[in-house]
Amino acid sequence: MKNKWTRRLLFATAMFVTLWLAVPGIPGRAVAAKAHKFAIVLPGPIEDADYNFRGYQVSQDIKKRFAIATSYSERISPADAERVAREYIASGYTIIGFHGGQYIRIVKKLAPKFPKVNFIMESSGKGKVPENVWNIHRHFSEGFYPFGVLAGLATKTNKVGVIAGIQLPDFKASINTISDALKVTNPKAELLFAFTGNQNDPVKARQTADAMIANGVDFIINMVNLGVYGVVEAAKKAKHKVLVTTFYTDKTDKAPKHFAGTLIVDFRPPFAKAVGEILKGNRTGYVPMRPGNGFELKSLGNVSAEAIAKTKAAYEKVRTGSIKLRLEMKKVRLAK
Amino acid sequence: MSIFFDISLLHLTMLMMAPLIIACLGETIIERSGILNVGIEGIVTLGAVTGFLLTYYTGSAVVGCLFAALSGSLLTLLLAYFSITLRANQIVIGLGIFVLGLGISPTIYRLAVGVVKSIPQVPTLSEIKVPVLSIIPFVGEIFFNQNGLVYLSYFLVAAVSFFLFKTPMGLRLRACGENPRAADTVGINVARMRYGACAAGGLFLGVAGAYLPLVISGSYTDNIVNGRGWLALMLVIFGRWVPLWSFVGALLFAYVDAFQFKISVLPQFAKIIPPQFLLMLPYIFAMIVLVQVAKGSEGPRALARPYDREIRD
Repeated sequence: MKNKWTRRLLFATAMFVTLWLAVPGIPGRAVAAKAHKFAIVLPGPIEDADYNFRGYQVSQDIKKRFAIATSYSERISPADAERVAREYIASGYTIIGFHGGQYIRIVKKLAPKFPKVNFIMESSGKGKVPENVWNIHRHFSEGFYPFGVLAGLATKTNKVGVIAGIQLPDFKASINTISDALKVTNPKAELLFAFTGNQNDPVKARQTADAMIANGVDFIINMVNLGVYGVVEAAKKAKHKVLVTTFYTDKTDKAPKHFAGTLIVDFRPPFAKAVGEILKGNRTGYVPMRPGNGFELKSLGNVSAEAIAKTKAAYEKVRTGSIKLRLEMKKVRLAK
Repeated sequence: MSIFFDISLLHLTMLMMAPLIIACLGETIIERSGILNVGIEGIVTLGAVTGFLLTYYTGSAVVGCLFAALSGSLLTLLLAYFSITLRANQIVIGLGIFVLGLGISPTIYRLAVGVVKSIPQVPTLSEIKVPVLSIIPFVGEIFFNQNGLVYLSYFLVAAVSFFLFKTPMGLRLRACGENPRAADTVGINVARMRYGACAAGGLFLGVAGAYLPLVISGSYTDNIVNGRGWLALMLVIFGRWVPLWSFVGALLFAYVDAFQFKISVLPQFAKIIPPQFLLMLPYIFAMIVLVQVAKGSEGPRALARPYDREIRD
């Protein structure tokens, strides 16, 4: 009698497990049945509390949101990225994300060679991509435009600085839109900009910021990643009040008296969109990353209430598309 | 004041000169004993992470600097062990130390800090005005309104010069670098002198590393040294292994570096000179000067040669 009931119980359990695995409609199981695995390639260390940390957050978010296995590789130079991606593919990873525009060429090279694998890349354009690639288009120039408005309203010396690291098309376009915003809000303001050659060297960024401050700049818009800490130190040591902005993560707590605003850049929503679509079977597509989708204006402070209100209004106009911004990526051409 | 000699430019020059000359002095002591330390970049990086973390956890920059010095010394002693006791090829070991330093530093940082949304920061060293001297017009602001480590660098240039060229110990050290066999025959313990030079020089390298987070950025990043260790190595050759000349070299390099940052932000220059060229400027300058200076310059004769009293030269 006891054996009979044990057999029935075992049979019922086996049937339930089989059904649970087979039915795709049950939440979480559709993914497991297809056995998708997601990996992301990051250019720097995840403890940077900045760009690479944002990439790390993507892998954590995908794991939580879609209940699939995820992995990440950090400190991967473009020269190593192909090898790392191939290792992931050989290990059964079916979705490979690349965090950074420097990997575009590798994605375009690997995608035709591995048609069953899905790739996600970040770029600064809406170009044609292979049929197994999702393109996340980062509209940095739209995100930085409100900072131009803020700088124009906040500067007292009428000298605004922009410090960038590498001459990426995104940053050139952003300097152009900042200059357009300055022209609208404060035509008297002069825009100085410099490229330090490195996104993460706080020493070079500090030297550049010191040079700008000595030249009368009192508002610096940061386009460097970890270099921002050098800029903040320069602002703290300056003889006149200097305000700075930052992006990717909020760093206001590092210098509450000097930060005027943060452009939060969160890669989780666009990556989640791309991965979600891949899981539904849509293997190629385009996700614009812009104000309202990954970009958010935060921690505006140390400026007048009027400046904050006008900056927020400018952000809303960009978000809703009610103003058309210049998109010039090849060269910095300041507004005349 | 003209664009070439304004106070802010020269003040910044002194600020950026200090880590270069401190590292350079450490390397000079090591090389004068006959040990070539090409691991300098890795050792300086280890000093940066140690100095930053100890300052962050203890709240004392002095403690941070002391431990940075200690870490620099320990890593240089590892080089000494392989170079002196095991008589290994100093360039190979030095490159190994370089890679080790560069690899171990981010690991230490990650173990201590972990993955965080906001990176730790320390307050940077404040400027200290030297009484009387700081009120001298122009000069006072440039030389005597700096942080404590800049003053330490002035002192170290004088102290190391005095030690190397005016003391019996300095003479013995130089003898070990020039002709270790002759030094040995007069009773100088060459191995001990070289170990001592590495330990002392390593202290300087560690402090040079700590300077960057404690004075410039208030935070540590993997890339913080970014070739400045190699520059210090170059400045040793530039200075012909003489601290005072290395000081001049460090000043010149820091000046050109600060100058290119100054002109890169001026619209009239930014329009006509590409930023890539400006960023190259200090290095082009260094190469040109080095080529000129290196003509006829001679390092310690026994530099990079392991010494074994049992082997004939």
